[in-house]
Amino acid sequence: MWTLETMMSEAAGWLDASGPEPDVVLSTRVRLARNLSGETFPCCSSDEEAERVRERVLSAVSSCNYLTNVLVLRMEDVDAVTRRVLVERHLISAAFAEDGAGRAVVAGEGELVSAMVNEEDHLRLQCIRSGLSPVDAWRMVERIDSELERNLHYAFSSDWGYLTACPTNVGTGIRVSVLTHLAGFSRTGRIAQVLKSISKLGLSVRGFYGEGSAAQGGFFQISNQTTLGQSEEDIANTVERVAGQLVNLEHEARSELTRTDEHRLEDEVWRARGILANARMITSAEVMDLASSLRLGVALGIIDAPGLAALNRLLVVTQPGHLGRTCGETPSARERDVARADLVRRSLAGLN
Amino acid sequence: MKCERCGSRTATVRYAEVVDGSLTTWHLCEECASERGVTGSLTSLAGPLVNILMGLLEGGGGAASVDSGPTCPRCGLTYEAFRRAGRLGCGTCYEAFASQLKPLLRRIHGSTDHTGGVPSTDEGGHFRRKEISKLKRELTRAVAAEDYERAAELRDTVRARERELGGTETGDVDA
Ligand SMILES: [Zn+2]
Ligand SMILES: [Zn+2]
Repeated sequence: MWTLETMMSEAAGWLDASGPEPDVVLSTRVRLARNLSGETFPCCSSDEEAERVRERVLSAVSSCNYLTNVLVLRMEDVDAVTRRVLVERHLISAAFAEDGAGRAVVAGEGELVSAMVNEEDHLRLQCIRSGLSPVDAWRMVERIDSELERNLHYAFSSDWGYLTACPTNVGTGIRVSVLTHLAGFSRTGRIAQVLKSISKLGLSVRGFYGEGSAAQGGFFQISNQTTLGQSEEDIANTVERVAGQLVNLEHEARSELTRTDEHRLEDEVWRARGILANARMITSAEVMDLASSLRLGVALGIIDAPGLAALNRLLVVTQPGHLGRTCGETPSARERDVARADLVRRSLAGLN
Repeated sequence: MKCERCGSRTATVRYAEVVDGSLTTWHLCEECASERGVTGSLTSLAGPLVNILMGLLEGGGGAASVDSGPTCPRCGLTYEAFRRAGRLGCGTCYEAFASQLKPLLRRIHGSTDHTGGVPSTDEGGHFRRKEISKLKRELTRAVAAEDYERAAELRDTVRARERELGGTETGDVDA
């Protein structure tokens, strides 16, 4: 039985590093934005309309063959800490965690398939896969969407395709994004240049890295920027192709690092492992930085444990919401740092 | 240093995003960073993007117009309200604001024509209508290239498809 408790006690399936190019690409996410024909979009709908849309979508979900073992949460029944955890698990957006009428989240086993009802659009359907899999993830989400379409009449125009609340999503309504770990580029000082050339190819890049140095962390999301004028398959192929080239270039950057500065690299990796395994207080920014060094170390064979999957999970479970679940209501930043260090030490136990 | 988003908590995280090819860096507190960071949603950036693009299109945001533009007959949203919020109210808004949206969509997507998937049920004949307009474009090209054999073939196909659709598409085939 797939319940909220089982979901929370396990890590999402897409963190397991089982997909293609796991050393550089953590995950691939494909989402579709859909609205029901004849219904006002969530921004402007009344509570009754939002409620009606929710029941229509959930009824279509319940008769979809690909969504037989899913968890359905009506957001008014979900407390603040759990909402935050859902955000950190990529199941809902930060905006969706705030109050709004008729909201629901649907999560399949392993969180590989999920949906938000009444976010910016009536339906946001997403599929997340481990590693670099844009085309596979698109095929999966398409199958589910076609099944849902039998019971839901979507707002569609033959000129402009699927109609969405924001014109940046109209047409295919598709967003294909890959979460990459560009640790090599971040350390060879070419990251800004690389990101700039990706954005020149019409893709958008968003990143996240810790205080101190641009060469730390090195996690970036790369996704398509436009949704109109190209087929879904072409968009998925473009992201797959560009990310694939990026993987090759990142591998080159990593071997350049090994060639030119092997001792410094080894030192960084082993120090990172030492701190993570022994710290008594640690911020999530620091975990991000150090886990990045360890990921690089595992990828280059400098160390063999913890594996990529364990490190991927660490990035998620050390986020504030996940910690909040374990250390109770409104802990101070200091209490959280202590609890985080504790959690990290336990995850890495047996290494020393 | 204070967080550049909420302005109250201490900034502990540097967050970077690439906008139009250049790297922009923000200093954020942990709370704000986790909202926007690795787990953040792309949609949160869509609003400002639309506003910026509209500003560009209309020659700088400052030009205050007294006219609030057309109003959607179904949901009552005015074009001016859309301009401010960056969100449309319903599917009918797209028809109501068609002439304003076209240049905006071209600016955002480089296209104003959907060429992706269509509803599998094809209720209302969307798919066939789409196919017909594609065939017509091909026909125009064939005529321009003086490939009359191909053009005749295409014309017959278009006529057949239009008959299937039930004669709603009576536009001239020889366009
Ligand atoms: Zn803040
Ligand atoms: Zn409307």
